[in-house]
Amino acid sequence: MARDLPVEDPLVRMQRDLKRALQKNPKDLKWGMVIDIAKCIGCHACTIGCVAENKLPPGVVYRVVLEEETGRYPYVGRRFVPRPCLHCQNPPCTKACPVTATWQTEQGVVIVDYNRCIGCRYCLVACPYAARTSDFGEWYTAETAELPGKLYGQKAAANGYEAHPAAEYGRKWPDRDHDSPVGNARKCHFCLHRLKVGMLPACTTSCVGRATIFGDRTDPNSLVYETIGSPRVFVLKEELGTRPSVYYLK
Amino acid sequence: MNEKLFRTLLGISILGLLIGTGGLINFFIHGKSTLALGSYIPWGLWVSLYTFFLGLTAGAFLITILTYVFRIKVFYGIGPLAAFTVVVVIICEIIIITLDLGHPVRMYRLLITPGFKSMIFWMVVFTMAMLIIYILETYYLLREEIIHWSQDPGIKNRKIYQSLALGRTAYTEEDRQQDQRRVRLLSLLSIPVGLFFYGSNGAVFAVLLNRPIWNSTLTPLLFIISALVSGGALIVLLTFMFKRDDNVIHLLGLTIRFLLVVMLILEFLHFFISYQWDVVYIVAALDLVLYGPYWWNFWIVHIAVGSLLPLYLMIFYPYNSRLLAWACFLIVFTFIAFRLNFVIPDQAVYKLEGLDASYFHDRLRTAYVPNLTEWLVSLWVISLGLLAFLLGARWLPVIQAGRGEEEHV
Ligand code: SF4
Ligand code: SF4
Repeated sequence: MARDLPVEDPLVRMQRDLKRALQKNPKDLKWGMVIDIAKCIGCHACTIGCVAENKLPPGVVYRVVLEEETGRYPYVGRRFVPRPCLHCQNPPCTKACPVTATWQTEQGVVIVDYNRCIGCRYCLVACPYAARTSDFGEWYTAETAELPGKLYGQKAAANGYEAHPAAEYGRKWPDRDHDSPVGNARKCHFCLHRLKVGMLPACTTSCVGRATIFGDRTDPNSLVYETIGSPRVFVLKEELGTRPSVYYLK
Repeated sequence: MNEKLFRTLLGISILGLLIGTGGLINFFIHGKSTLALGSYIPWGLWVSLYTFFLGLTAGAFLITILTYVFRIKVFYGIGPLAAFTVVVVIICEIIIITLDLGHPVRMYRLLITPGFKSMIFWMVVFTMAMLIIYILETYYLLREEIIHWSQDPGIKNRKIYQSLALGRTAYTEEDRQQDQRRVRLLSLLSIPVGLFFYGSNGAVFAVLLNRPIWNSTLTPLLFIISALVSGGALIVLLTFMFKRDDNVIHLLGLTIRFLLVVMLILEFLHFFISYQWDVVYIVAALDLVLYGPYWWNFWIVHIAVGSLLPLYLMIFYPYNSRLLAWACFLIVFTFIAFRLNFVIPDQAVYKLEGLDASYFHDRLRTAYVPNLTEWLVSLWVISLGLLAFLLGARWLPVIQAGRGEEEHV
């Protein structure tokens, strides 16, 4: 029993791996993720962590946790499959973009240039994993009553949180109005803004079951590299040839 | 043109514009949040309407093919009407798809950062090419009349025609021959460009992975044939209403009848082959079309009213222009149902198991019914197209018959 207990929290190891990765030449680096569905307890903490980190408006979500039923009655089971953008190495979404507003970085992360995107939503229909959502400009505080002169009316509530978008891609976005990212396609970006300052993606740190492993998948000493080598590994919809950078463990 | 008909249609188009403006204002003030679309059905009524307009543009293309490939001469007379219709419909098409964009102002991006691998990029290129071809073709077809009108003292607003005549005051036999050569060249050019235009629009859908209904090699072909059917039907309707020529109507009727049968066979093959694959998500999407909550849209609107009834009329009354016009009216009118059936159900199946129960929001569902704003804006665009067509038909010599006697003032 004692042998099975982890000697250190995987987060500590991933943090070390990350530090090492950031010292590498960025060209030699490929980010990757492994999600161990045997460990996922379906708490949706990663979804919420991501929504909070990126201040996602209503209807926009980067990482959902799918609940799948397995087996046949009476031998049924249930498993949870968190699904961020899979950062396909052969991404159908980037090819679809008529204005090259979305592409794969050298580190294998598929990103969107909000200022270039015309909002045609072709990439949304092109992604076979429904990993992209469109920002229709919704507000959580839309239905909140306005109380002029008070601290807690609609405007004050919005100003306290959602009026100021998160610094996705490490950039400051204008206050939420009709401007980007409203009207754009949005998706998971592996929290590039966090990685830049040495922090793991929000979904990884918030994962209660430690089911999410993140790191440089080209570094043989990293936990993510080690886990990808597991015989339990698989990818979603492998038959499509999208070659995701997000792997799963059965 | 029949004055009563003109006034009725004018009234309808103005009323449509007025009613539609309400939706447009709401849309401009509150933005995309006024739409019923979501992230799992990101393309809805407006994209369907776009494909609908796309089909309607094919009338002139059909006539060009019949004239230049099959060398049938009777269609010369309706050339200007057909070409002008294409210009109006392509403009409507561009308006509706521009409104659908999240950031329409950034369209210029297509020029400075083009995505050559994207089918939408090519679709835009060919749309623009078609627009330019047909604007030029319309102009050269009308130039003679325009120059005459610009010199006719009895015509009001002569200044407009003088500016359209680009300073020309006389039209010589040499000019006529030159314009005919230009029109012929443009028409010939429109054949390959048109094939790519309709084909690339089909390819926008066909190239997508994991799309049960769209992802088929038949899709571009179906787009070409269905466009010819609906575009041809529109031309019959317009010819009947504005420039009655029974010969043209009967011949076009025969052609459309044949094309409609080909389209239905292709559609049947599309369904048949896809069902044979017996893959869960493909069957689910097809079932949605045939037996889903909008089964009537397929069986009653598209098959019964939009295909079988017109086919019956065209087979049993091939020389009755009025009935042929009715048949074509039914085809055009129900064509939007055909397009909705193509665009929506494919998206209405969750791509991953459990997606429906993972994160709740109205925009993360596969249930989509166009809302009032979407319908009103659509009405506005259609009315605008109708108005532009009517005014063009009255103020420009697109209906050549009775040249000079046109009640253009
Ligand atoms: S999962 Fe979808 S959005 Fe992400 S890279 Fe692959 S195709 Fe693109
Ligand atoms: S929505 Fe934006 S990123 Fe997606 S294909 Fe259109 S322009 Fe490109």
